[in-house]
Amino acid sequence: MTTATYDFDTQTSVKALDVNVPQRAGRTLWAPAFAMSLVGFAAGMILAIVKASAVADGDAVLAASLNNYGIAAMFFGFTMVFTGISFAIARILGEFRVGGGRTQEAAGSEVKTLTMPVTARAFIGLMAMAMMILMAAVVAHVVVGAQVNAETLSLVDAERWDIWLEAARRFAVSLYLFSITLGLATIIYVIRFQSIRIREIADAT
Amino acid sequence: MTATLDRIVHPDINYSAETGHRKSGLGVGLVALMIAMVVAGLGIYAASLVGSAGDEETLGQVLAVAFGLNTTALVLLKTGIAVVLIGILVRIWIRVESVKASLPALRADVEVGTIRTGDVDTDFGPATVSAKAPTRLPIHRMANTMWGPMLVMGVMAVFTGLVVSWVWAGNIGTSTGLGAAAWTQGLQFLGEGFVLASISFLLASILSGLREGGGEVQEALGLPVKTLKMPPTAKTFVALMMMGLMIEIAQFGLYIYITTFDDLARYTLWSSWLGPFRELGLGLLLAGIVLALATIAKALGFQFSRIRDIVATGT
Repeated sequence: MTTATYDFDTQTSVKALDVNVPQRAGRTLWAPAFAMSLVGFAAGMILAIVKASAVADGDAVLAASLNNYGIAAMFFGFTMVFTGISFAIARILGEFRVGGGRTQEAAGSEVKTLTMPVTARAFIGLMAMAMMILMAAVVAHVVVGAQVNAETLSLVDAERWDIWLEAARRFAVSLYLFSITLGLATIIYVIRFQSIRIREIADAT
Repeated sequence: MTATLDRIVHPDINYSAETGHRKSGLGVGLVALMIAMVVAGLGIYAASLVGSAGDEETLGQVLAVAFGLNTTALVLLKTGIAVVLIGILVRIWIRVESVKASLPALRADVEVGTIRTGDVDTDFGPATVSAKAPTRLPIHRMANTMWGPMLVMGVMAVFTGLVVSWVWAGNIGTSTGLGAAAWTQGLQFLGEGFVLASISFLLASILSGLREGGGEVQEALGLPVKTLKMPPTAKTFVALMMMGLMIEIAQFGLYIYITTFDDLARYTLWSSWLGPFRELGLGLLLAGIVLALATIAKALGFQFSRIRDIVATGT
């Protein structure tokens, strides 16, 4: 049953609801994403040092190739760290959903749970888009790096690809940050609902 | 200053009212997203200039302007996030008042008896039991004071860098241009580091609010005050944040240092690793933020469990 109480769209049940699918993913995947981000950052920095050595030796082809590999590693790290942040936000939302529900159940009240707000849906959608763009850019950098190394792509074409991919990466990072803002904005919405709901239950007893 | 910042997160408003932080934060984020779209357009235009004879200077100018604008867009997005986090902090304290007002009516009516203090194990990790609400830890005091100045300094550094990027764009191929390029990158990434540090401090303030607020509620009911001990994720969060911030300060110093180079080859060599180095700093700050959020989730789980216990058993 779906009802609207205090301007909130809620569903009512006798028992507390469990976490939903994105929140379950958040609980499980935030830690692997965090660990992989550290691997990406470390690899990116090591490749940058190797690239600096190629620059010092005047080997332009190797330097351009390593530059692409280094950016790929670093932005794999950024993709994972933003994914970790998003999953951790989903985990927080899961704690509110389950904890709020169980508190209502313990108080002997019917359990009202928020239906997924628009900000949460947009959070998931934009996060998925940003992740896909960033991962596509990471793969493209590896391909460009390999082609430069094999000398099947000229340095001029490689530079053109670098600038295109940089534009894509920059936009994807902005999109990711905006999706994170939406996720955090959902937390404000949830806490406001819960602050009202607990007083509503207390007033009814 | 601490008192001013405390007033920002403890406004005198009705518990059911909207505070406006959500709309303000998302509004700032939308403006930044539009700037990011302009930057993407500039990138596509710049790529079309690569390899065209006679367009080298224009290419350099477009790339310089795009760099300055992109970092500005990113820092505006992070400022939007900071505004939303302030909103969460405000809501945490309103929630404390709501729980404090409601629990006396909801809890089982039993005698509390003598409070046994000391350490206990919980499903969420080690906790302490005390008779009074815990005071702020030094790290929490620092966080509650520093998020404001860090945010202001960060935004100022990034906007100064934006202005310097126009000097860079106007002097492509000259030593002035090289110097301005180094200053732009150093200043803007220092600013980004400060803003991410501000976000980290806000997250630590949220953790502080959960700890203090949870204690206040239990103490007001005359119950033993159970407080979760600082989990390993919180300790690692502080370490990663400090490392990331130190790298951002170091990269700023190093960018200033390379403006003294007369030799272009040496400047290019240093620039080749300074770019990833400054990104590493931001990466570590962001990794710390993941851990801070995970710690908040754990603290919330503990609090809900404690509230349920109070409702069900009265103690």
